Amino acid sequence: MRRTLPLLGSAGALMAAAVAVTALVGPAGPATAAPDGNNGRTKNVIYLLGDGMGRTHISAARERFYGAEGKLAMETLPAQGYVSTYAVEKKSGQPGEPDFKPNLVTDSASAATAWASGVKTYNAALGVDAKGAVVPTAMELAKQAGYRTGNVSTSEITDATPAGQMSHVLARGCQGPVYSASACQDTAVTGDALPTSDVRVTPVADQIARNGTADVIFGGGLGRFDAADETALKEQGYSVLGSAASQIPATRTDLNAASGDKVFGLFNKGNLTVEKTKQDNPAAPQAQEPSLPDMTKKAIELLNSKKGANGNGFYLQVEGALIDKRSHANDAAQSLEEIKAFDDAVAAALDFAKKDGNTLVIVTADHETAGFNIIEKGSFTNPEAAAPPVNVDSGNTANNSTPSRAGGNTKDPARSSGILNGAGAADPRNFAPATFRTPNDPAEVKDGSKEASLWLTYLSGNHTGADVPVYAYGSGSEKLQGSVDNTDLFDIVGNALRVLR
Amino acid sequence: MHRRQIIVPAVLLIAALALTGFLVTAAQQPPGPADAGDGPAAAAARTSFPGLPAAASEPDLPGLHAPGPGKGKALQVPGPFDDRFVLEGLVFDGSAVSGTVRATGATSELLDLQVLAGFYDDKGSLLGTARFDHHLGTEEPHADAPAEHTEFTISVPDQYQDAAVSAAVGVPVFVTE
Repeated sequence: MRRTLPLLGSAGALMAAAVAVTALVGPAGPATAAPDGNNGRTKNVIYLLGDGMGRTHISAARERFYGAEGKLAMETLPAQGYVSTYAVEKKSGQPGEPDFKPNLVTDSASAATAWASGVKTYNAALGVDAKGAVVPTAMELAKQAGYRTGNVSTSEITDATPAGQMSHVLARGCQGPVYSASACQDTAVTGDALPTSDVRVTPVADQIARNGTADVIFGGGLGRFDAADETALKEQGYSVLGSAASQIPATRTDLNAASGDKVFGLFNKGNLTVEKTKQDNPAAPQAQEPSLPDMTKKAIELLNSKKGANGNGFYLQVEGALIDKRSHANDAAQSLEEIKAFDDAVAAALDFAKKDGNTLVIVTADHETAGFNIIEKGSFTNPEAAAPPVNVDSGNTANNSTPSRAGGNTKDPARSSGILNGAGAADPRNFAPATFRTPNDPAEVKDGSKEASLWLTYLSGNHTGADVPVYAYGSGSEKLQGSVDNTDLFDIVGNALRVLR
Repeated sequence: MHRRQIIVPAVLLIAALALTGFLVTAAQQPPGPADAGDGPAAAAARTSFPGLPAAASEPDLPGLHAPGPGKGKALQVPGPFDDRFVLEGLVFDGSAVSGTVRATGATSELLDLQVLAGFYDDKGSLLGTARFDHHLGTEEPHADAPAEHTEFTISVPDQYQDAAVSAAVGVPVFVTE
């Protein structure tokens, strides 16, 4: 018809023009092309932390479970780099400030505060800077911005790494269920003791049970929570697995059946049980505890089942805590199984991210624990030696060290009484290495034998100051290719979530 | 040209341009909070908990309020962490109660420990309490006392010295790394 055709023709031309203009400007979303697995906008961040997991922990686990030529799941992530982990002294300024005083070896608390809040602080501090001021955490910022949030750990959930995202205390020992001045106050930081109404001396369990920072919480530490905490959780809409009031831990069956927007599940009164013990004792009650991969998969399922506000997704932190605790104990067999379990959790996160296409996955550690080492087959370490190594150069005495050691580096039979998980297993004072077979060994080679390929030893029972690895996948992961500081992780995650300005 | 033929295409042009402008704006401004500067960022930190009473005192243990043991005796009362340690060598010598807390699980460091003692008269009534605190400061070397056992001695407070005949102890605070 004469009136309609011109109208349609004009409209069509105008729409074509509008489309053309839009095409010139570019599509909605980031202008730069993103790495594999990204559709242009990060909706979810999964942050996996192997507590105490240094570079050698990863190499040893790779060789143990996949052979010299194999790879752990985390080693397949495309972005790889290193993270510096140093802390600062109490009352210190931040790097670059005139009163900056570094402490080269961090603990899990100050490391957690570094990546969760972007500030250096003193060892033991959670969610406060080195001068005792409260700093918001990435998880709190994400929650405020409408993200769904989750916090999973194999330790007590009130322990440093998980607590670093959802509490603010002067001292990590202020965990609950009750306040004590000795555990909670730190007048070296605050001058006078703080009133007990101050969050910084409020037990971590009390904070977690009431702040709603994490929608999904899985881990250990039921003994830190009481009946009032359980009531507070339920009043906020949490489905509580097991019972804090009755001190009945939840089980894997409870985990698998869990549903809802907010779920709180603690599976041990203390830390969760190590995987090796559960494997060796399948009929024991502890075998009913879920593994880290179990908890990770369930947390992802629950968090992904409902979108956050503004179309945002979720922010999930997952910690393999027992790598550190069993490295402190110098138990290589347990440490290896914990690294494997952690890597299986990484695999679960990566599997989700590849299918989802909008998820940033970051895998790293807070520090290295105990100076884990792979030594030459048949050799021995300093702790086993009667004296330190020779330090003279007979070919060029100008190279000699002082004090001079012309002889030495022999084994002390009292300190090295046989392979630690073999002939020397009954000696509690034995410093000998533990040996483990790998898939490259003939089938008849056993753990604890001289023929096993992988010889592992520890330097001490404490943390070290080594930089730790970081691996990443998804949009923004290229920022982790290279070396960063642990406080940079806060900026990278915060920018990915778009909660920083 | 009729006025309608001019106005309608103009309206459509405006609408198309407005739609284009919207799409451009949406592309350049990522979603998220409008301002996460100091104010809103600080507001994200959860620092108050309505309904949570502030701690009014140091820890207590219900078991201390039961009748005390017989003269010269010391016993253990229940606490929330009894599955993590054993009390060894518990002794009351008339002026103090002493013993050793031995961690049953592996611990790298004992960060915090409180042993709470109650002292009783010859009728078994609670006279009062005193406590032993261990806190591992971050300034202390790791070569301090072994993490697996901690010895304690808790003296009877001066005002009860003449009346105290027995003691009971429990552990309300126990934190390991």
